[in-house]
Amino acid sequence: MARSGRLSEATAGRGLPDFLGRPGPTAYHRLNPLTKATIATTTAIAAVALGGLIGPAVLVAVAVVGPAIAAGVLRDLVRTSVLLALPIAISALLVNLFFFPGGEGELFRIGPIVATEEGLGLALEILARIMAISGAVTLFYLTTRPSDLVIDLERRGMGSRVAFVANASVQTVPAMVERAGQITDAQRARGLDTEGGVLRRLRGIVPIVGPVILGSIAEVEERSMALEARGFARPGRRTLLWAPADRRVEALIRWGLLAALVAVIALRISGRLP
Amino acid sequence: MTLTLTGVGYRYAGTSDAALLDIDLELRSGEVVGLAGASESGKTTLCLVTSGLAPRAIGGLLRGRITIDGTDVDAWPMHRLSQEIGIGFQSPASQLSQVAGTVFEEVAFGPMNLALPRDDVLDRTWEALETLVIRDLADRDPRRLSGGQQQLVAIAGLLAMRPAHLILDEPTAQLDPQGTRLVTEALARLAANGASILVAEQKTEVLAALASRTVVLEAGRMVLAGATGEVLGDPRLPELGVTPPAAVRLRHAARDAGLDARMLDEVHAGG
Amino acid sequence: MVELRTEGLVHVYRGSGVRALDGVDLRIGPGERVAIIGQNGSGKSTLVRHLNGLLRPTAGRLLIDGVDARRLRVAELAARVGVVFQDPDRQIFSGAVVDEVRFGPRNLGRSGAALRESVEEALELTGLAGQESRNPYDLGQARRKLLALASVLAMRTPVLVLDEPSTGQDRAGAARVRSVIESVAAAGRTLIAVTHDMELVAELFERVVVMRSGRVILDGSPSDAFGGRRLDLLRSTNLEPPVAARVASRLGVPGAVTEADLVAALLRRELPQ
Repeated sequence: MARSGRLSEATAGRGLPDFLGRPGPTAYHRLNPLTKATIATTTAIAAVALGGLIGPAVLVAVAVVGPAIAAGVLRDLVRTSVLLALPIAISALLVNLFFFPGGEGELFRIGPIVATEEGLGLALEILARIMAISGAVTLFYLTTRPSDLVIDLERRGMGSRVAFVANASVQTVPAMVERAGQITDAQRARGLDTEGGVLRRLRGIVPIVGPVILGSIAEVEERSMALEARGFARPGRRTLLWAPADRRVEALIRWGLLAALVAVIALRISGRLP
Repeated sequence: MTLTLTGVGYRYAGTSDAALLDIDLELRSGEVVGLAGASESGKTTLCLVTSGLAPRAIGGLLRGRITIDGTDVDAWPMHRLSQEIGIGFQSPASQLSQVAGTVFEEVAFGPMNLALPRDDVLDRTWEALETLVIRDLADRDPRRLSGGQQQLVAIAGLLAMRPAHLILDEPTAQLDPQGTRLVTEALARLAANGASILVAEQKTEVLAALASRTVVLEAGRMVLAGATGEVLGDPRLPELGVTPPAAVRLRHAARDAGLDARMLDEVHAGG
Repeated sequence: MVELRTEGLVHVYRGSGVRALDGVDLRIGPGERVAIIGQNGSGKSTLVRHLNGLLRPTAGRLLIDGVDARRLRVAELAARVGVVFQDPDRQIFSGAVVDEVRFGPRNLGRSGAALRESVEEALELTGLAGQESRNPYDLGQARRKLLALASVLAMRTPVLVLDEPSTGQDRAGAARVRSVIESVAAAGRTLIAVTHDMELVAELFERVVVMRSGRVILDGSPSDAFGGRRLDLLRSTNLEPPVAARVASRLGVPGAVTEADLVAALLRRELPQ
């Protein structure tokens, strides 16, 4: 408990403890979560709406890489978004490079399969879009705590019970993983063989998945009673301890981004943009 | 505040046998009442019925009257009742809300749900943490605490609702000796400060340390009730499925062997 | 009959770097009854997971009848060392009690009459005979613990390891656990229990291994562990001996660790010889 000294000093009073609602390290982090979510969403959609290679590439530079540098998360962003996009990127690349219908400019050949110039062109365009989407989502995830977004939405009027489900779902995953580990240990201790071939491992599914689900159901009843005993079922709003700050400037930015997105889509549809 | 059960009986939904019968119990201010009995004798059912969770949260059929200072609470919804009566369970982890990243937010959960003004929420949370002497756990992740610490956090969460009465269903059942000591000491402090508690326990030593009065259940009925010392010294305890405290067992064993049990008592009095 | 031996067993958890076992040398012979006690973090749970191969040593080794355990898969070790974990809800998956008990022995390849016999015996010992078709979740928590115990008993392993068998048990369940321990011991099987129930240790176990910070700090009889001289050692690991032992040492009768011992010792003192 090395923090306790600092804790009693800083929060000797009775106010909001200083470890709650702590602002992020950079200006980009400190943007309201809804703003950051809007940036991510409009970037992703615009990447799909814009044609060609230049549009998405510029988007990646301006809306993903730029802010990532400002937020100091560029390295993590590159690593995570590449990992995220890799499977789709590889298959998109291969499919389009080799199987572009009507491609004529031959680049190279592997047996009967031909890689074409046109195919490469399309593949790169698709890759740029994938990077824009993956980058935008990763940037949001790296600069925003999911619970902060949920609190912000709740402050704006989202129901408390919806907020609870959103938060609880995120927390449940690591707990379930730990549970599954303990259950696997217990079943292996009773002779369940998980080190054999595929068929053997498949037979192990019910004894492992079963208690993960069953146990959770049994716990759910006690858990929901405990929640009710703490006023959970009370209708209406609840008090929030804190909420992320918002500024008028940011609200303007959000509307501006949405308007820009609509414009891009409209121009694209009407053929004015390539 | 006096909580009174008169002629209370209860049947779980979808069952035909009564889980509780003819319960007459009065829980007064500033008293710790112990509840003992074999497993499935009705201890948990009595805790659920007294707290109002049965039938409000789990259905079932309730008979008899439950009153607070004479007023019938039949029509009170759970969130109103939970401000008078708090209930804790034996599994430390399943009482965590799962949505709090810190102990502070966990304890604040109840008052937040009641939509109290923010300052009230903060005051109640700090007060609950201080009462249980766990202020230094405020910024910790509740899921990473020991079982005993988690139980204290759960009780703090109940205290933040400022209930007049606390009901604890086997709070130390899943704890090791350290955790049991931690929780028992915290409850003793609460009791010394005038808290009203109904605590069910298999570990009769805990009841001996905390409760002034104790009730024993068998098959859903009250079969023994009275001062804790007398009830726990009653020779019928083993056949009722309750293990008497070690001190009592020694005294009986010595007496049965024809020894003078007084020397044992002196030793026990010394700790 | 199986002999377990650890030589300089070390375990460092990869993620956290915690050195949970720091050189454990232990020999447990066939038919022994050993209680392993220690505070949280002393390494006892880690040691248990080594005994059936769920964890593999970082250094040192575990020998089972002279064979390095690393050569055997967990499923193979399970035939020799049966481990009952603490939380029954982290293993029960069948819709009926009898199916749960059949799981273990079937994994070991048993069938027909041999299977039926071992299942019936396990149900009998744990007081669950007659509950075969009930849904485990209709039984209370305490009886589900007994079910988990039955499901490993039915495997009839030469070594049985129990992880906190009395936690969460009521009086009847605790009595069942005691009678299971006595039957298993009477059949000559090795019994190892990790527990913080000191009364249980004093009454049923002939050997106590005390662990602290990943090492064995005491290995002897209950009188050695709980008798007057060693109380400080025990207290240094935040453990308390059973009440009877404390009273005995106060009354100047060291060596008595159970209630029966204490009464007998006092009788000897009081009656003129």
